[in-house]
Amino acid sequence: MMRFYVIILFMLMTILSAEDSCISCHTELDEERDDGDKIVVGYMTGIHAKKDVGCADCHGGDPEAFDDEDEAMWDVDDFLADMEKQDQLDMCGKCHSDPQYMRMFSASIKTDQVSQYLTSDHGKSLVKGNQKVAVCSDCHSNHGILPVKDPRSKVYALNVPVTCARCHADGQYMKDSGLPTDQLIQFKNSVHGEALLEREDISAPACNDCHGNHGAAPPDVVHVKDICGTCHVNNRDLFQKSHLFSVLSKEGFGQCEACHENHAVLKPNDSFLDWSENSVCIKCHLDGGSAKLMADHFYTIIDSLKQNLQLAHSIVDSAENKGMIVSDLFFDLEEARKVLIHTRTNIHSFNITYVDTNAAPGFKASQAAILGAKASLNELSFRRKGLFYFSLIITFLVVVLGIKIKRFKK
Amino acid sequence: MSNIYQWINERLELDDAIKFAKKKRVPVFYGTVWYYLGGVSLFLFAIQLVTGILLVLYYQPGAETAFESVKFIVSKVEFGWLIREIHSWSANLFILFVFFHMFTVFFAKAYRKPREMTWITGMLLLVLGLAFGFSGYLLPWNELAYFATKVGSDIAGAIPWVGEFMLRVLRAGDEVTGATLTRFYGIHIAILPGIFTILLVMHLMMVQFQGMSVPPEIEKIPEKDRKTIPFFPDFVLRDFMIWLIVLNVIALLAVFFPWELGQKADALAPAPAGIRPEWYFMFMFQTLKMIPAHVLFLEGELVGVMFFAIGGLIWFFVPFLDKKAHVGIRSRFWTWFGIFLVVYIIVLTIWGYLV
Repeated sequence: MMRFYVIILFMLMTILSAEDSCISCHTELDEERDDGDKIVVGYMTGIHAKKDVGCADCHGGDPEAFDDEDEAMWDVDDFLADMEKQDQLDMCGKCHSDPQYMRMFSASIKTDQVSQYLTSDHGKSLVKGNQKVAVCSDCHSNHGILPVKDPRSKVYALNVPVTCARCHADGQYMKDSGLPTDQLIQFKNSVHGEALLEREDISAPACNDCHGNHGAAPPDVVHVKDICGTCHVNNRDLFQKSHLFSVLSKEGFGQCEACHENHAVLKPNDSFLDWSENSVCIKCHLDGGSAKLMADHFYTIIDSLKQNLQLAHSIVDSAENKGMIVSDLFFDLEEARKVLIHTRTNIHSFNITYVDTNAAPGFKASQAAILGAKASLNELSFRRKGLFYFSLIITFLVVVLGIKIKRFKK
Repeated sequence: MSNIYQWINERLELDDAIKFAKKKRVPVFYGTVWYYLGGVSLFLFAIQLVTGILLVLYYQPGAETAFESVKFIVSKVEFGWLIREIHSWSANLFILFVFFHMFTVFFAKAYRKPREMTWITGMLLLVLGLAFGFSGYLLPWNELAYFATKVGSDIAGAIPWVGEFMLRVLRAGDEVTGATLTRFYGIHIAILPGIFTILLVMHLMMVQFQGMSVPPEIEKIPEKDRKTIPFFPDFVLRDFMIWLIVLNVIALLAVFFPWELGQKADALAPAPAGIRPEWYFMFMFQTLKMIPAHVLFLEGELVGVMFFAIGGLIWFFVPFLDKKAHVGIRSRFWTWFGIFLVVYIIVLTIWGYLV
């Protein structure tokens, strides 16, 4: 299959090189390169080649000049090569910021990338003359630019963390920025990283989902809840109404990340509430006090819901395994399970009454399942007792008949 | 009490019936126990009739109601579970005992003159019994039943010339749908019981008129030297005793081995793993699975169907093909043919469950 694609690519390159001096010369030059950065191969696999955007559309030059290198490139006024980062931005923006031009390719295509970029920390640094910051080609590649949804693209969801980490995890490169370089390691160990990188769940957040794409910037402390709340809507809404939110906002402390970390977001665990070394509350509330009472209460409620649900499950399963029809009870179990999940969310209200009120239906549902399953098991016991007495009667009748038959024989 | 009996006797002539039963004698020899198999089959049919009528009171045919109504019967109706379990278990035991009955009759050569028609009606009753099983299996409208019916009716569709027509008649359309369920329900509770009752009456009447058959070697013993017991009350009491034991076995199976209801049938869901027909169709199913897709210029499925059609016809007309039996000689060929069939059914059934 691979061989087939190579042949097709070669044929395309041959056809194009007959019309385009850039392709013609750079195909030969690519063969001499040993750094793996094959300009023409990259370009041919990219989106620009597919949309008939040629080399000269970005770099200028004269693609019809076949005989002389100077005539094709250096003597042409608008020719661009070995650009400064700002020039790269302008080069991409020339088309991508032009709605009229871009509409030719898609009616809904965005054209605000450059303006967004200029609001980002990358953009602001570039304006200040920092030549180390990322511009378009650093994330999207220079010649082999692929659509975002193409899994081979450097900005495809699964590839984003590594793309960002190419600079952000490089201690030497980031030395002057004053930024940490352990984000990728932290992210890989986080619940988000595990979902995205191990389970390849592209609905899990990558760097850009929290920091923005072209307008990438670290969120302000006060806005963290809104960033997390993009996905965790209920947690955000409950937290925003809580007294804890007012206190943290007033003092300028962290919000979600205060308990859950930022890049190293751990998988939430009920032991976060347990007043031990795993507790997240203890990090701030060293002395316990009312915070400990609340955490203990929440932990007890969640643990009780869990225990009740487990008990209900085991009894219902036992009744089902014994052949009883208990399918209706699975609705109660599902209800109890949902309430348990909601309760884990509801603790973000930091309101005992609210949590208790909303946890009550969970206890009720578990109880209903337990009672229903016990009734089924009692019914089973009744059936077995009934069978026993029935068998006794039958045995008695068989014996009586046997005696009668023997008498007939005599 | 005697007045009531007298009242009934004057109208139904019970005395004559009892006189007939007392006069009737049942041979006693090594194979007397086989005589009970027909009686047990009859008893199991009677149980199905009674439990079937009770189930009809709550069962609602239809793709949207059948599964729910069976679930309601087994979980909410008082003793509904028991009625369904007894119905299902007695149906399976019925087929089993009919098979036993058929093979004992075969090996005793009881189909020989003048009982050819008893064999033929018995065979027709077996076919109807299998049809009862096939149509009843779909009625709970669960996943397994749905796909088993789909596969089963596909096989019927492989019959040359009439297959397509039979498939559409069975399914009440091109696919297994709610219409198929309604059709199967009608066949199960009206058409089959009607035909079955007529054939059963014929079968029993012939048994009564012609008396119990004995194997050729017993027949050679002069009649006055043969040991017999009166049909009434001796044999009837023994029959009744075995029926009680069978009833107890059914109750035991109903309590300890209830039939699963499973998941409701969903035409859009993928077929579950391990779709199998009922055990009594397993040997045919396994045979069809083993036949290659193409045999010479014929489709494998067609070859399988033809194989069973020809085999069935031979078995059906055994009384006319086994000439030696009519003169009281055991034909080695037909005895070995019967043994081969029994071994084939057992081996293929076990094989079907193992693979």
